[in-house]
Amino acid sequence: MSDLDDIFLDADDFKSCLPLKKVPYGDVFEASRAGDVDRLKYLLESGVNVNARDQWDSVALYYACLAGHLDAARMLLESGAICSEHTFDGDRCHYAALNLKVRKLLKAFEARPPPLGPLQGALRDTFLACWANKKFFEQSEGQVPISGNSENGGSSPSDFPPDVVFYVQGRPIEAHRVILTARSPFFEQKFQTEWKDRKEVRFSKEKLSYHALYSLIHFFYSDRLDIAVDDMEDLVRICKVCKCLSLQKVLEKELIHQKYAEYKALRDVDNSQKRFILQGISLPEEDRLPNALHKILQIALVNSNSEQNLNHDVDGLICLVSSMQISEFEDDLADVCVRVDKKIFRCHQVILASRSEYFKARLSRMKDFLEGRDCLPDNALPCIEEHDLTVGAFKKMIEYMYTDGLKDIDPDQAEEMFDAASRYLLFPLKRVVADALLPHLEMVSPAELCHWLVLSDMYGVIKIREYCLDAMACNFETFADTQEFRAMLLTLPPPSGDSALRTTAPSAPGAEMGSTAEGNVLDDLREKWLEAEAAELDERDESALLFDKRLEMLMQIAEQERTDGLECNISSEQEFI
Amino acid sequence: MSAPKKKNFQIEAFKHRVVVDPKYAEKTWKILEHAIHEIYNHNASGLSFEELYRNAYNMVLHKFGEKLYSGLVSTMTAHLKEIAKHIESTQGGLFLEELNRIWAEHNKALQMIRDILMYMDRTFIPSTHKTPVHELGLNLWRDNIIHSSKIHKRLQDTLLELVQRERTGEVINRGLMRNVIQMLMDLGSSVYQEDFEKPFLDVSADFYRLESQQYIECCDCGDYLKKAEKRLMEEIERVSHYLDTKSEPKLTNVVEKQMIESHMHRLVHMENSGLVNMIVNDKYEDLGRMYNLLRRVSTGLALIRDVMTSHIREIGKQLVTDPEKLKDPVDFVQRLLDEKDKHDKIISLAFNNDKTFQNALNSSFEFFINLNPRSPEFISLFVDDKLRKGLKGVTEEDVEIILDKVMMLFRYLQEKDVFEKYYKQHLAKRLLSGKTVSDDAERSLIVKLKTECGYQFTSKLEGMFTDMKTSQDTMQGFHAAVGADLAEGPSLTVQVLTTGSWPTQSVNTCNLPSEILGVCDRFKTYYLGTHTGRRLSWQTNMGTADLKATFGKGQKHELNVSTYQMCILMLFNKSDRMSYKEIEQATEIPASDLKRCLQSLACVKGKNVLRKEPMSKDIAEDDAFYFNDKFSSKFYKVKIGTVVAQKESEPEKQETRQRVEEDRKPQIEAAIVRIMKSRRVLDHNNIVAEVTKQLQSRFLPNPVVIKKRIESLIEREFLERDKTDRKLYRYLA
Repeated sequence: MSDLDDIFLDADDFKSCLPLKKVPYGDVFEASRAGDVDRLKYLLESGVNVNARDQWDSVALYYACLAGHLDAARMLLESGAICSEHTFDGDRCHYAALNLKVRKLLKAFEARPPPLGPLQGALRDTFLACWANKKFFEQSEGQVPISGNSENGGSSPSDFPPDVVFYVQGRPIEAHRVILTARSPFFEQKFQTEWKDRKEVRFSKEKLSYHALYSLIHFFYSDRLDIAVDDMEDLVRICKVCKCLSLQKVLEKELIHQKYAEYKALRDVDNSQKRFILQGISLPEEDRLPNALHKILQIALVNSNSEQNLNHDVDGLICLVSSMQISEFEDDLADVCVRVDKKIFRCHQVILASRSEYFKARLSRMKDFLEGRDCLPDNALPCIEEHDLTVGAFKKMIEYMYTDGLKDIDPDQAEEMFDAASRYLLFPLKRVVADALLPHLEMVSPAELCHWLVLSDMYGVIKIREYCLDAMACNFETFADTQEFRAMLLTLPPPSGDSALRTTAPSAPGAEMGSTAEGNVLDDLREKWLEAEAAELDERDESALLFDKRLEMLMQIAEQERTDGLECNISSEQEFI
Repeated sequence: MSAPKKKNFQIEAFKHRVVVDPKYAEKTWKILEHAIHEIYNHNASGLSFEELYRNAYNMVLHKFGEKLYSGLVSTMTAHLKEIAKHIESTQGGLFLEELNRIWAEHNKALQMIRDILMYMDRTFIPSTHKTPVHELGLNLWRDNIIHSSKIHKRLQDTLLELVQRERTGEVINRGLMRNVIQMLMDLGSSVYQEDFEKPFLDVSADFYRLESQQYIECCDCGDYLKKAEKRLMEEIERVSHYLDTKSEPKLTNVVEKQMIESHMHRLVHMENSGLVNMIVNDKYEDLGRMYNLLRRVSTGLALIRDVMTSHIREIGKQLVTDPEKLKDPVDFVQRLLDEKDKHDKIISLAFNNDKTFQNALNSSFEFFINLNPRSPEFISLFVDDKLRKGLKGVTEEDVEIILDKVMMLFRYLQEKDVFEKYYKQHLAKRLLSGKTVSDDAERSLIVKLKTECGYQFTSKLEGMFTDMKTSQDTMQGFHAAVGADLAEGPSLTVQVLTTGSWPTQSVNTCNLPSEILGVCDRFKTYYLGTHTGRRLSWQTNMGTADLKATFGKGQKHELNVSTYQMCILMLFNKSDRMSYKEIEQATEIPASDLKRCLQSLACVKGKNVLRKEPMSKDIAEDDAFYFNDKFSSKFYKVKIGTVVAQKESEPEKQETRQRVEEDRKPQIEAAIVRIMKSRRVLDHNNIVAEVTKQLQSRFLPNPVVIKKRIESLIEREFLERDKTDRKLYRYLA
């Protein structure tokens, strides 16, 4: 595993002696072959299948390995490209690997579990950001790689403080009550009774293994168990106490298997080096992290509703939750209230902060701004208010934040969800919403599609934007006849007219391609159109000119229509050309 | 016509108010601008984080990111300009405090602003390749505050002045200092280096140049070093307290250069307190300090080493050439050992056991020990002395230590074969006279010599021990065979020595008394009976005898004497008076030995079993000797030693020398033949070099001698000269 670091630390490896070719409009296979990481990144973000095959039955990773593009290969692997031993594709990639570095990279990813989901990744980061946990993690760094978890846009170094510390064999493990409660009935009960107000818990039993408990708590956060085989028996015992029955069952089975494996291996392998890695997927669904947090969320929502009733007459920002009231309903361990459109939601700081940098900043800045001024009574929860958001959208959003999943999205809600996802820096949510929205788009009118194009461009939802542009390019004349489309043209910035973008000629070395992701809508449309119309390569320039002329014409028509319209008073719109 | 369009674009009404309101951007920016001002004025608690974030978010969403960003830049710049003015106007002493306070405030405000504008920081800034907010804030602070014309110089001067004050002993606010320096580091390493580190190093260099000049004029070496060390520690501590750790090597380098490197020659050579003085007076602490300080500069250690070497050579030379000190060999060697111990101790205590220093010490010893050609003899005498009596009552470990020390001196010798010669002689005497204190010690020394010089070197010495052992067995056999017959006569102990192993001289045998002669003959017959083909000759000059004598008042004594002395005394069994001539005639002892024997029998007070006429110190040819009736002694056993020549006399020395030279000849020849056999053809210089190399472990052959040997070999047709090149030799046969 430490090989991995060796490969990546060396920045020079990423620079090839020749400038890399840019394939601004190539597919995932072309981008991998050319090593055009900008394009590849764009494609992966727009949701292409990394493990798809082209007409030669090859996967993108194969091309990247063949051409020796280390960074492209890594990007593919991090996005979940499969390269496992003794499979056709895996072996093919291995044999094709241009150099040793690529080989090492493949090897490293073979043994490495696939990246965590956004929820698991975010919580794991929060867990590891706790000082004590980080220290232990860094000690065992050699064995445990940090899985590529760029989905959260790189969390800021400021950690979210833990609310409980365990001392095992004198060493601390920091944790958050709500996570433990969600995952284990044992902790749930303890936190309600014995440990209710305690900030730290010391285990004096000699038998309790630090490593095992650490692994378990790490599992609670990340849904991934990573433990030395030697510690597994300790862990089984802990599982029994914590009532993590399904995990216990899996471990017991594995232990028997390990014992058998030991005989086979003639005991020449040092067991302390051997590790056992378990993915949340191997457990029944109800025992996985999203489900556990879902339960917590449900309780909190129920409590929020009852609270709503209790405080109905209190017309103020403050939500008073006395300890008496808590005893009436099931304890949800909520430690913050979010008020949206006059409704109050009981939430958990650690989850909000882990999932959204906005909330992390917000919660840690409570004291500095207006929100912290109305000091609440000691036994009440802090309350934050969010404006410009409907209750429904917020509900969906916290559902996503707690469970990584989204059920029954209403297309009408999608726009607001995009807004919320952008605003609260929940970028993965956009993709989930986009996936939900896509089937719906197949049935909408051209006019509505124009609307979605503008929205997706605004919120940076690449998948939807691509879909809309494809649809428009393929049915250009239909759209040209639509008034809404013409009107939209006026609102968009003019095409760049840059001929470099118009052709597939290799761009000049070092040409700035960074803007691909946020490219000009009309430029992209023109390119899609050229592809769709299948213009011959040497006629592309002419075809592009034709297209530009057509656009200009359409815009003139739109201008005409606008000035004709009497009610139209949108004079502030920018003038074109 | 625009109605449907409107409908399309207003699914969410609140989103598009923005577009409708032409002044939206302006208004929103005003709110945010106000907020930034408020944050700077510590009024943030009146602001709603949520609202501000939402506003900033909407601005970026509706493509006003550019406006927001440029607005932020100009607002912050304006604010920082204000602050700059405020800082400029602060009064002298408060300047740093104020700067530090405002920096902390700026940092806090900056974080708050960054959080408010987080959406821009995450989306707009990366996609447009702008500077992130936090970094932007630092850059603006740097450009507007630190690099503003009035503050820049003042800050630098203030910081340098504070350091200067601390150096002169004042107490300064280190926390403040650390914060301000930390600020410079936060602004980027180039800011720290350009604006502080560089001038700081310059000032430091000036300071230490002056100070070291002062110190060197008025302090002695030890004090100066103490001061330099203190300063160095201070600077290192300074770095750890409030400077960037990366500055440490640079700063120490400056101090080293100014305080040590530029003065080190003067320091080391300082009269009455420099290196030599410290070594003489064993000032370990000062020496250690000097070592540690000079180690920091590139040529420092070489300097110490050179001075030390020349000092040791000087002392050593005096030691080995001073005729006074040459009188007592044991003392001479003891002095050498003491000198070595002293310097070893210095090197281990003060010079960190530095290998190069040890080498220097060794080479110095090698240099001066070999200045005196008698060193090998003296060392052997020293060993002899130790093994005879010096080691009594000393534990085994101590014996080992002493022997190791001797071996060390031995290693320095170039003429190891000379040492071997002497050692053999001394060993023989010890063995034959049964004077060795400890067989183990003897053997241990031989093992040491063996490991040092190889099997060949010690084979003869070992042979001597073997002889002793076999003699013992032989004697047992002899007594068993004939013991009963001899019970009446004198008991005889014979040591059979192998010729060649022992340093035997061809001796004219003296006439043994008849009693002894009989036993001797019995032994000879016995020995030759068991070993055929051997020849025995008596070495009468090496034996000892115990005599029982009765004196005037019936006093009985046992006299322990040498064989010669025994012969002489036996004569007095027959008559009480004998003249020198008579004795000489009767015993046929060589004149010099005889004189020595008589001297020890007649002239040593307390042991004068003979009386001489006339009474004088020296023995003359016409002296007469009487049995001394009045001899008395407290002890029953009286040991009468021969007047041994402790040191060799001049002719003896010459003789030994000659023998050594003789012994060397075959060795040199053997070496030449060995070399030529493998090389076949070689020129003169190379032969000399190779021979020297081969024999180095035993002695340093003289090139002239080598040349003679070559010639001799040519004569004997082992080699021939090349016909064309006279310098080239060929191996024949």
